[in-house]
Amino acid sequence: MPDAALAAKTVELRILRYRPASDERPSYESFHVPYSQEMSVLEALQSIKDTLDGSLSFRWSCRMAVCGSCGMMINGKPQLACSTFLRNLPPGPVTLEPLNNFPIERDLVVTVGDFVKKIESIYPYIIPKVPRTIEEGAYLQTPAQMAAYESFSDCINCMLCYAACPQFGENPDFIGPGAMALLQRYNGDSRDGGQRLRLDQIHGENGVWSCTAVGYCSEVCPKQVDPANAVNQNKTNSAFDFFLSFVRKA
Amino acid sequence: MSERRPYRRPMPSNWWWAPGPYRAYTIRELTGVAIVIYGAVLLAGLISLASGPSSYAGFLAFLKSPFSLLLHLVLLAAVVYHVKTWFETLPKTQPKIIVDGKPVPAEQITKYATMVAAGCSLALILLVMGVAR
Repeated sequence: MPDAALAAKTVELRILRYRPASDERPSYESFHVPYSQEMSVLEALQSIKDTLDGSLSFRWSCRMAVCGSCGMMINGKPQLACSTFLRNLPPGPVTLEPLNNFPIERDLVVTVGDFVKKIESIYPYIIPKVPRTIEEGAYLQTPAQMAAYESFSDCINCMLCYAACPQFGENPDFIGPGAMALLQRYNGDSRDGGQRLRLDQIHGENGVWSCTAVGYCSEVCPKQVDPANAVNQNKTNSAFDFFLSFVRKA
Repeated sequence: MSERRPYRRPMPSNWWWAPGPYRAYTIRELTGVAIVIYGAVLLAGLISLASGPSSYAGFLAFLKSPFSLLLHLVLLAAVVYHVKTWFETLPKTQPKIIVDGKPVPAEQITKYATMVAAGCSLALILLVMGVAR
C-alpha cells in the first residue's frame, strides 16, 4: 500500500463540553478522527466515544433522521448529526455545540423537560367533534382534508426549530414553533373538535404573538414541517377569535 | 446523588445582527421603516396641498431637490426589498390552499400574489397618469 494511502485523512471536531460535576462552565475540546467520504457527524462522534473518550455524551438512536434525538449546532446551524455528512461541510475544524436556547445537561445533551410539557399542554390528540361508537365505524376523511394538516404531522420533535428561534432564546416560556406545529396538526384535522380547548395556548401571553416571523425555524426543519406557517396562521385564528368574542358577547 | 446542574448559555445581546438569517430578518424589518418614511412624505404633500398654493409649491421644490431624489432612491430600494420579503413571508401567514387534494407550494403563492400586486400597482400608475393628463 502506498504511503499516501496509509497516512489516513483526519478531521478535527471542536466540541463544546460540559461535565456538571467538574466544569464551572462549558469549554471547547478538540478531537481528531479518521475521515471517510460516507461519514456523518454522528458517526464521527461515535468514533470519538469508541476510541478516544468514552465520557463524551450525546443523544442518538435511529441514525436515519426519524427519531429526532441527535439535533445539535453544527458550525453554528441547528442540524441532525445523523443526516449531516462531513463531506458537505466546509474544510477545516467542525464545531459542535448543544442546541442553542436550551439548558445544557452534559456535553451535547440538553434539557428537554420544558419542551415535553409544552407538547402535553396543547392536547396532542384528536378530540372528536361527535364521538362515534365502534359499531358506527371509523372517522372518515378525504385526501384533501388530510392534505390540510399532513405536513404538520411529520414533526419528529427534534427541537431544531427551537434552537433556531431567537424569540424562544429571549423567552423560554414562549410556546414555540414545534408545539404550535403539533397543535395545528390537530386543529387542522377535519375529525377534530378541540380547537376551543387549544385557544389558551395560542393567544396566551406566551402564545403565537411572541413570534416575530423570523422564519428560520422552517428553514432548519429536517422534515419540511414549516412550523412558521403553523405559528403564523394561528395569529390569524387568534385575531379572528378576538373580534368574534365581541360578537359573542353582544 | 444527582450531578445535575443544567447550564444555560446566555443569549448574545447582538443576536439580531449575527451574519446569516438573523441579519436578513433585521434588515427585512428595518426596511419597513422606509415605508413609514415614504408615507410621511406623502402625508406632508397632502398637508401642504391643503395649506394653499405657495405651501404646495414649496413641497414640489423639496421633491426636486437632490436630497429628495437621493432619499427617494434609497426608499425605493428599501421598499422593493421589503415587498419581495413580504410576499416570501405571505405563504407562512395563511392556511394551506388545497387544490385537487394537494397543498399549493409556497413558491407558487408568492409568485401569483406578487403578480397580482404588480398588476394592481401598474393599473394604479396608469390611472393616475390618465387623471393627471
